[in-house]
Amino acid sequence: MRNEYISRRGGMATTSAWSRNQNTVRHTGKRLGKVSTTAIFGLMVLIVGLIYATQGVKATTYDYELSEIDEQVADLQARKEDLAVEKARLTSTQTAASSEVAVNMPDGQVSGYAKE
Amino acid sequence: MDKRTKALRIILVAAVALVLVRLFVIQIFEHDMWVERAEQEHVVQYTIPAERGEIYMMDGGEPTVVVMNEAVWTVIVDPMTVDEEATKKLMDEVAKDKLVAEWKDVFADKTRRYYIVAQGVKRDAAQKIREAGLTGVYLKEGNARVYPEGELASSLLGFVNNEGAGQYGVEQALNKDLAGENGVLKTVTDVNNVALSIGDDNVRVPAKNGKDVVLSVDRNIQRRLEQILAEAVAGSAATNAAGVVMDPMTGEIWALANVPTYDATKYSEIKDASVFVNTPLESAYEPGSMCKTFSFAAAIDQGKMTPATTYTNNGYLTVDNWKIENAYKGQLGTITMQTGLDYSLNTSSMTALMLLGDDASQITQKGKNKLYEYYHDKFGFGEYTDIELVEAKGYLTEPDAEDAYNSRYANMTFGQGMNITMIQLAAAFSSVINGGEYYRPTVVAGEMLENGTFNYLQAPEAVRQTVSKATSDTMRQMLYGTRSYKRTTGVDKPGYYIGGKTGTSQGIKDGAYTFDETVGNYVGFGGATKESPKYVIMVKIWGDNAKMEGEKDAMPMFDKMSDYMIDYLKIKPGES
Repeated sequence: MRNEYISRRGGMATTSAWSRNQNTVRHTGKRLGKVSTTAIFGLMVLIVGLIYATQGVKATTYDYELSEIDEQVADLQARKEDLAVEKARLTSTQTAASSEVAVNMPDGQVSGYAKE
Repeated sequence: MDKRTKALRIILVAAVALVLVRLFVIQIFEHDMWVERAEQEHVVQYTIPAERGEIYMMDGGEPTVVVMNEAVWTVIVDPMTVDEEATKKLMDEVAKDKLVAEWKDVFADKTRRYYIVAQGVKRDAAQKIREAGLTGVYLKEGNARVYPEGELASSLLGFVNNEGAGQYGVEQALNKDLAGENGVLKTVTDVNNVALSIGDDNVRVPAKNGKDVVLSVDRNIQRRLEQILAEAVAGSAATNAAGVVMDPMTGEIWALANVPTYDATKYSEIKDASVFVNTPLESAYEPGSMCKTFSFAAAIDQGKMTPATTYTNNGYLTVDNWKIENAYKGQLGTITMQTGLDYSLNTSSMTALMLLGDDASQITQKGKNKLYEYYHDKFGFGEYTDIELVEAKGYLTEPDAEDAYNSRYANMTFGQGMNITMIQLAAAFSSVINGGEYYRPTVVAGEMLENGTFNYLQAPEAVRQTVSKATSDTMRQMLYGTRSYKRTTGVDKPGYYIGGKTGTSQGIKDGAYTFDETVGNYVGFGGATKESPKYVIMVKIWGDNAKMEGEKDAMPMFDKMSDYMIDYLKIKPGES
């Protein structure tokens, strides 16, 4: 039911009695029909459903983004490990011993020790 | 109400009741089964593999990685659907060195839907194969161990087999620490197999990665030792050599080497499994005359002799009707025990045993008891050293055993008739020259933490006193004495206090001693002064039908390694 307030000031009123209390209203009641109620209820269900569906899709979208980021992290981590392996190879004693510089380097000779 | 309406009503009620009953059964009695079926449809469970811990060695006091992990791919083809020519061309271009199958074999039977054609394919090559998008070609990611130092310390480190388990060496002994624990991911997925955050039963237990183990072994010392051993093998009739370098004041192992080495990435191609054996720990053998160090130490520690004690050397002694001779035939007559050690005379160590038993003319039960007490209880011969790796126990005959003949004990004074490992001998020798404290030999120094810092775990662990400090001082002096000619000939650097003992042990063939195959050994120490030994080195060289000698073949290896250690440890010459 809907309350509606209708001014009693009629457009044709010219008497002073009316002009003394121009804000008086008449209280009347109106009911929605069955069709309107069903339609409104249906709309509300639809809106709630849409909100639910939107949230679900949003969560799934985040999951996809998360999955992509996870893959990127794993890829970067793998590349970091590859670089660490390469670094270890380049700084290994095996590489150093077989390098051209090492091969051509003369043996060191101890020339003496400083007295403390 | 007419009959037809009634009948219809009854049928409807019965149908609804039937549905309700079925729903009840499904919801209540078969609930778990249907939930399980539903989960099988949309819930997946993954294993999150734990990353195997890396292995570090020392590099002048700083840990440096020597065993790492690397992502590699296995290439699998489906012979029925694959494009033969395109696949061959691509694989030859990007991963020819990783092929593990012959192409003719791969396509010989097309009903076989799964054929591994390449293993250990690197990231870039795998990416190219993936981008090519060939039908019937699949990639499977895995992990492989990487050895930046190549074959360095291969028998010490061991390897990881195809099932991911450590085999031999550190990989096997510390497998539990290195392996870590796999994690679990249980989650709802969509049609693209993407994990979704919805669902109440999602489980994520992170993997617990393996520990990054830091060994006390120094990669520079290790490499130099392996180099010296390899040169010695190449320049002789020997086929194998092994060595240990350790800190006598802490028991820390600085190098543990075996030659020949092997490529751990190709362990499956090794034909001779003996290269996997970590000889200094796993092979018990008769060490020979190096053991005179210990029989002398026992007699000195018991106050039964000094380096100046004299005895009559006839070149042999008869024990249990066995004539036990010296290898060196000179120095006959009355000589000192120091001379006996210098010339490695068997008669001198047998005399030490007799003196231990308070009877200079014969071996007594008391003497055998004392020798066993020192050898077994104090020096730890015939017992595990409790090093962190796999080791052999060896064998020592108890003095009251049925076969504890006097002749056996006579032999034991110069390292025969007993079986011990190199690590047992090196650890005991360290105690003889370090003041008398036996340190448990250790090869694990600590672990690398996640923040990249080194956590030192091992505090030196002095287990027991083997000999008195005075005995230790005397033994250092006696061992120094055996190298007098090394000093006069300039082999030993002036200003350093270096001592040691040779050992030539007879090989055993068909259950009998033979001089056709002998093992050359040397154990020694070095430092700037008499009071400060800084390193102990033990080396061994042998081969099938090779006659290797302690003095001729093993001692030169020690000499070179000792020189290297003096330079590497930056030991300044002292007042010797």
